Amino acid sequence: MIEFPPGLLLILGALPVPFLRGPLRGIWMLALPVAAFALLYSLPDGNHFPISAFGQELELLRVDALSRVFGYVFIIAIFLGVIYSLHVRAVEEHVSGLIYAGAAIGAVFVGDLVSLFVYWELTAIASVFLILARRTPEALAASMRYLIIQVGSGVLLLAGLIVRWHETGSIEFGHIGIDGAGGVLILLAFGIKAAFPLLHNWLQDAYPQATPTGTVLLSAFTTKLAIYALARGYAGTEELIWIGVTMTAFPIFFAVIENDLRKVLAYSLNNQLGFMVVGVGIGTELALNGAAAHAFTHIIYKSLLFMSMGAVLHRTGTVLATELGGLYKSMPFTTVFCIIGGASISAFPLFSGFVSKSMILSAAAHEEYYFTWLVLLFASAGVFHHSGIKIPFFAFFAHDSGKRPKEAPLNMLIAMGLASILCIGIGVWPSALYAILPFDVDFRPYTDSHVLAQVQLLFFSALAFTVLIRTGLYPPELRCTNLDTDWLYRRLGRRLLVRITSAAGAVQARFYGALNRRGQRFLLQLYRHHGPQGVLARTWPTGSMVLWVALLLFAYLFLYFLDIF
Amino acid sequence: MLAQHLPALQVVIPLLAAPLCALFRRGFIGWLIAVAATWLAFAAAIGLLFRVLNEGVISYAMGGWAPPIGIEYRVDLINVFVLVVVSGVGSVIIPFARTGTAARFNDTDQAWFYAMYLLALTGLLGVTITGDAFNIFVFLEISSLASYVMIAMGRDRRALTAAYQYLIMGTVGATFIVIGIGLLWAMTGTLNLADLAQRIPEINDTRPVLAALAFLTVGISLKLALFPLHLWLPNAYAYAPAVTSAFLAGTATKVAIYLFLRFFYTVFGGGGFFESTPLPEMFLVLSVVAMFAASTVAVFQDDVKRMFAYSSVAQIGLITLGISYVSETGLTGAMTHLFNHAIIKAGIFMLLGGVMFRMASVKLEDMAGIGRKMPFTMAGIVILGLALIGTPGTSGFISKWWIVLAALEKDQWWLVALILLASLITMLYVGRIVEVAYFREPSAKAADVREAPLAMLIPAYVLVIATIYFGLDTQWSVGLAQRAAADLLAGIY
Amino acid sequence: MTDHHETEVPMAAPDEAPRWLDRKANVTKVAWALYIVCAVVILLDFPIHRHADTSFDGNFGFYGAYGFIGSVMLVLVAKNILRRIVKRPEDYYDD
Repeated sequence: MIEFPPGLLLILGALPVPFLRGPLRGIWMLALPVAAFALLYSLPDGNHFPISAFGQELELLRVDALSRVFGYVFIIAIFLGVIYSLHVRAVEEHVSGLIYAGAAIGAVFVGDLVSLFVYWELTAIASVFLILARRTPEALAASMRYLIIQVGSGVLLLAGLIVRWHETGSIEFGHIGIDGAGGVLILLAFGIKAAFPLLHNWLQDAYPQATPTGTVLLSAFTTKLAIYALARGYAGTEELIWIGVTMTAFPIFFAVIENDLRKVLAYSLNNQLGFMVVGVGIGTELALNGAAAHAFTHIIYKSLLFMSMGAVLHRTGTVLATELGGLYKSMPFTTVFCIIGGASISAFPLFSGFVSKSMILSAAAHEEYYFTWLVLLFASAGVFHHSGIKIPFFAFFAHDSGKRPKEAPLNMLIAMGLASILCIGIGVWPSALYAILPFDVDFRPYTDSHVLAQVQLLFFSALAFTVLIRTGLYPPELRCTNLDTDWLYRRLGRRLLVRITSAAGAVQARFYGALNRRGQRFLLQLYRHHGPQGVLARTWPTGSMVLWVALLLFAYLFLYFLDIF
Repeated sequence: MLAQHLPALQVVIPLLAAPLCALFRRGFIGWLIAVAATWLAFAAAIGLLFRVLNEGVISYAMGGWAPPIGIEYRVDLINVFVLVVVSGVGSVIIPFARTGTAARFNDTDQAWFYAMYLLALTGLLGVTITGDAFNIFVFLEISSLASYVMIAMGRDRRALTAAYQYLIMGTVGATFIVIGIGLLWAMTGTLNLADLAQRIPEINDTRPVLAALAFLTVGISLKLALFPLHLWLPNAYAYAPAVTSAFLAGTATKVAIYLFLRFFYTVFGGGGFFESTPLPEMFLVLSVVAMFAASTVAVFQDDVKRMFAYSSVAQIGLITLGISYVSETGLTGAMTHLFNHAIIKAGIFMLLGGVMFRMASVKLEDMAGIGRKMPFTMAGIVILGLALIGTPGTSGFISKWWIVLAALEKDQWWLVALILLASLITMLYVGRIVEVAYFREPSAKAADVREAPLAMLIPAYVLVIATIYFGLDTQWSVGLAQRAAADLLAGIY
Repeated sequence: MTDHHETEVPMAAPDEAPRWLDRKANVTKVAWALYIVCAVVILLDFPIHRHADTSFDGNFGFYGAYGFIGSVMLVLVAKNILRRIVKRPEDYYDD
């Protein structure tokens, strides 16, 4: 048996990709996740790959039930992602996608915070290329904002781990909690990547800007890695319930009025993360199982939804609801796959979302968080509304745009087909998923009352949509920008910065002006007897340096003498 | 027998090789001599390192005249560490130098260039190895004058102005240092550093000694380009030939840092001065300002060489920050970064030399799309850039780690935050290059550019690999730095 | 977001045959089917005794009412309040 980290396998495996051509490249990239899956399957629980570097013991392969679930689903996600992007010729997208996935998988299996930090930053750096590869000015700007925020999260993590090391003398990545300053910093780092409210907007900003294939990968890893990290470090931290509840509720309002369908999906992604964060916050076995299971199913159906929108973008060059409609006529398969994704995210019985989301709701009710439960229920109805109905409706039905694009390329269809099979398969036979959850599962999703309650909720939510559309009350899709917290740095912050720098520039100019006048007068005196005036003009930078030298000399003399006076 | 005279050989080999180069007046022969001399010097440094590790401090009386009358070469862990860095970087650059130099200069000029290179190296090694204060000044002048010529040989006309500035500021710095040394000599009657170290504690708070300290502080600050005395550096690095930039970035400022450590820890006594004067605070403030001001300026540079020159000023700030803690951890971090940064920056300037060689420009706009045209060069720059940022897995992370630890030891959380913030700014300018090189359509200049010649790539990649290697195995970098730091604090010389 | 790598999107031929859903009457049929399904699932509360998770969700029609009212609220709040606050021209940030 080989004891090698599966994440590292993908990262190293990505390196030869630029040198491979044609079908060989595809085969190699497909073989990598398969090998990683086999590798992970063969590994027993335990610590397998300790190394020591710069005086620290690092654990690169800690396999236990929690890391295993996330490991499997990450590998599935990259496998689907590779199939979906087989038609892409740009090699940097392939390489960065594999490294990004490898880093996320690597992060799931580390046993210490330093290694976590390394992979954490690697996911940030590798993934930014998926946005940059779109090669539009908007994508470039968004990618830089994304990179700064993501790396900022890493910096917070580093600061937190250093503080924590200082506090506890341990860099182990186990339960952390928010008792110490280090724990709070690390939570903040995780919170950025998990898109906590107010820290969330990088997600809606960047994901819609990535390439069609890039967004599929982005949607799978970064945020779910954060969920894993939260489940590992902060299970049962009650504050997370409130954070999670807020996360489930507010993005759906934005989703309703958003025109860019991939941005709608980004908001709904944010909402789904809220369910998982609530699960982590409740922290009971059922809730943690629910969070893990929901992350598992979510990665697959979210990828599927982004794949279907990616196919639309690929074929029509746009995913604005105002520009689309009637595509079912020429993209029937994509339409069906999108509806399957929508049904899964809406948690229709027999689709994957149902078997995982109901665990979290049950856990909330069981622990008597009734308010939480009510908000989650509302959010469930809301997510059906915008992801289950709005996305397929405006893209594929609604008013006919007259566009008749070709059906998605074969590799995209295969990826979407496989994801659909998984969505339905898990929905119909949840026991396989339940078997790999962190704790023993004693939960039956398919009881009469569960199914009936869910069906009632969803059909009446659909009823509401129908009534609103038919009465004309439903808000028309508009081409517009909706402000979110990104306004703080894209508008307010920029304005402030411009104002501050121009003010500082003026002050500095005045200061240097004064200094130079003094300096020049001083030098003028000096050179009057020595040489032609021309010398001055040529040497003024040197002159100002000499001035600095003199100033510093006086400063030091003064400071040193201060002591003996 | 040979091992006995290693301290002398360390300096004498490049010193004798320099006129030899000039005499032959053939580029290729000059280069061969330079290769032989630098690698022999490197071997001597390694030999000295093992001797010091085995025997402790080595005292070598030059010409058989015993100190304090004669000139003593004194080798301890601290300066042997610097000797290894300087001669190591110096010897990796020379194989790289051949292609670019041969393409640009005629035979005589090439020979001159190598002669100057060897002289500059001699000067720097001499400054480091000698135990005599006046001797320091002499070697300092040798290296300054030689580097002046090396800078002036740049292809840009601005190289002349840059060299002129460098000369003026170098002279001012050296003059200040010599004034400081003179004052000390007047007070103690000795020029031997070890002797000085013994006598100064008694006259610690007399005004001439404090004045000497002030002159030395400013003089050395100039030499190491500590903010705000850094103004000579960006132009000098930017307009000099690639070989010169790589050499100066990897060695000259590092030797100045050594001088600082030597004077303030050894001569002025084991750190006692740091408590009675506000020197550490002053250094701390200047270092932090350097890190931010220079990094921010770097972000807005359009000339990539200038960008990395400003980055050097910022990185020097990081080193002096480590020194300002006056703690073993801080000094370890500073010396480790001295080691790592020498390798990183020399590597970057060498790779940029390759770019310059192929397209006669290192303007950011001209480098658009170059990632596909010169994949290895750019990959190397990216890796070294990551090391500058302090990415784990590279040597840059190790140094930053130690300097952050030193800040933590003093419970200075805000400093930790500032260091990390400065890393973010570093990321911005490295990110700018990555974005331009990989995500823009090739510029007109880059359209038909080929990968740099192997003779340039291979030496640069030695440094790239070293950057990664020392990011993983820290036994030599941190291990030695830690022992040297302990010696420094204990005042062992 | 508009990309230009797939510049020419095929458009519908002028003589394209209308599909089943293109007829308004058929869309109304779909709506009516939904109304009927809703009525059926809500009436299923009588034969199937729903086991309640909380003290209040066992009441007749709770989920239906909650789903309907919640969705209407969601849309109306988003449209009439949120959109008024956050809506800006499409090129708002392009300066």
